Amino acid sequence: MLADALEHLVRGIVDNPDDVRVQLVTTRRGRTLEVHVHPDDLGKVIGRGGRTATALRTVMGGIGGRGVRVDVVDTDR
Amino acid sequence: MAEMLATDVVTEANSRLDGDDEVGAGESIRNVPPSEELLVQEGDAAGDYLERLLDLVDYDGDIDLDVEGGRAMVSIDGGADLAKLVGPRGTVLEALQELTRLAVQQQTGARSRLMLDIAQWRATRRDDLSELGRSIAQRVLDGGEPVRLQSMTPFERKIVHDAVAGVDGVRSESEGEEPQRCVVVSPTT
Repeated sequence: MLADALEHLVRGIVDNPDDVRVQLVTTRRGRTLEVHVHPDDLGKVIGRGGRTATALRTVMGGIGGRGVRVDVVDTDR
Repeated sequence: MAEMLATDVVTEANSRLDGDDEVGAGESIRNVPPSEELLVQEGDAAGDYLERLLDLVDYDGDIDLDVEGGRAMVSIDGGADLAKLVGPRGTVLEALQELTRLAVQQQTGARSRLMLDIAQWRATRRDDLSELGRSIAQRVLDGGEPVRLQSMTPFERKIVHDAVAGVDGVRSESEGEEPQRCVVVSPTT
């Protein structure tokens, strides 16, 4: 549910919505939502000064409670 | 009671009522006003984006679209779950407004200044700030000394300025630089 919600939020703000994938990864440190986007959309998802990534984290924190991390994965490697 | 409310609002005054550089008293930075058609289109795009989100997280909410003061207004009202989308001091609401503006821009190609309200949070905040402005004005009238409020967003300051303007014998000005700019209320004499 959290992953679907985040995927939707990200799809809406990128040029390549079909390339958006969100995976929920559970580690000892807790739950992390890993966001994969088209390399060209990385800037859009992070935003100026990280503003958009912060907004995504804040909204997911509101929905999922504390302890849900959001990582934007740099696929351009 | 008014005193308690005032303290409460002052403490929270650093929270941003609106997500970005906004219209304040005499501080309007407006280029070409967007057409009514574009604003309706903005509202529709925002409504779609938010409705799908509500579906996915299974929150009850009705979305209301409006155009007011040259911008699209989107309000969500409904179940208790919506408090999670407002968050402490409206932080989640601000973040969601930011994302919604981006989603709208993605659709329309134009930068959006749409205003999102959830569970009447902004509307209530507006009332609190008006109350604050009036009670501070009264305190200045009684005490004869200027009172400086905590820093606020342009949008918040405008609400306070408007409230103070409704009281005879006091005036208000904004002082300082953003984001530390704040309202100072003084006696007119």
